[in-house]
Amino acid sequence: MTGRGKLIAVIGDEDTCTGFLLGGIGELNKNRKPNFLVVEKDTSITEIEETFKSFLARSDIGIILINQFIAEMIRHAIDAHMQSIPAVLEIPSKEHPYDASKDSILRRAKGMFSAEDFR
Amino acid sequence: MTEMRADQHLRLDEQLLLFMDQLEALEEKRQKLNSLIEEGWFSIAKTRYSMGNKQVSALQYASEMEPLVHVEASLLEGGTAEFKCERRKNKTEELKNNTVEDIGAKETGLRRRINTKQKGVKEEEEEETDPQVKTTAESSTPEHREPLKWFGILVPQSLKQAQSAFKEVITLSAEIASLQSEILATRKEMQAQVKEKQEKTEKTQPEIKEE
Repeated sequence: MTGRGKLIAVIGDEDTCTGFLLGGIGELNKNRKPNFLVVEKDTSITEIEETFKSFLARSDIGIILINQFIAEMIRHAIDAHMQSIPAVLEIPSKEHPYDASKDSILRRAKGMFSAEDFR
Repeated sequence: MTEMRADQHLRLDEQLLLFMDQLEALEEKRQKLNSLIEEGWFSIAKTRYSMGNKQVSALQYASEMEPLVHVEASLLEGGTAEFKCERRKNKTEELKNNTVEDIGAKETGLRRRINTKQKGVKEEEEEETDPQVKTTAESSTPEHREPLKWFGILVPQSLKQAQSAFKEVITLSAEIASLQSEILATRKEMQAQVKEKQEKTEKTQPEIKEE
């Protein structure tokens, strides 16, 4: 199964979004919803979660980049996502450096070792 | 029986080594990604310092954007996803379009001029169509395509540095996404093998007890 020409979505603070949009990933037009969300201080968790779920539901998004502190707010939604596509990548933010122990993917990978310890 | 178990142990060991290698590669790429992102933010901050706070913000985003990077996502046999970054090479395409259209315009212009010696009225229309063709060539590379132009015509070098840093981050993100998918697949396979091994040892243990 191949999917060509998928987009990269980003959910992040202003600087993160500005940076990635500079990189050329942004799509914004009248026909379709944007593939990015700028999270500000007054952005509700519901909005973030809804946007995240809408990105998951879209078939034209391959990777979702999300600041880790935002990912913490919707951790339950990210942990529930088990499919390979779209891939969810947690990235640091200016005020919150990357913490590998909070990353969903690495936590799943770490979980394996606890089972082996019972042998 | 014992040979099968030895094979199983070997496979499990190989899987574990592969898993460790993948984790190490991921860690390395992660560090590079994080440092590149920080570099990008720093460059954006420098741009804000020179251009002003409000000149580099979400307010500057264009009302219409077209993605210049796409990701080719493919699902492989083991359930792993592979991601490859594809960036549109705008400049080379634009040059080709321009040259083709310029030549086209000249040719049609010449052709039409020959015809219009007979029909004098059309000459004026052709002269108008020539610049029109050229303007369409220019507008085929619309400004909203190049994100740098959202922030002004002359942007400081720091903003271009930020852009190149984030472009690299995007390419690296695709690699990390592929690696993460591989790691999860390796982990699943290891879990399955450990379960299989446990089931087999449970079966052989009652046999040993009987003996």
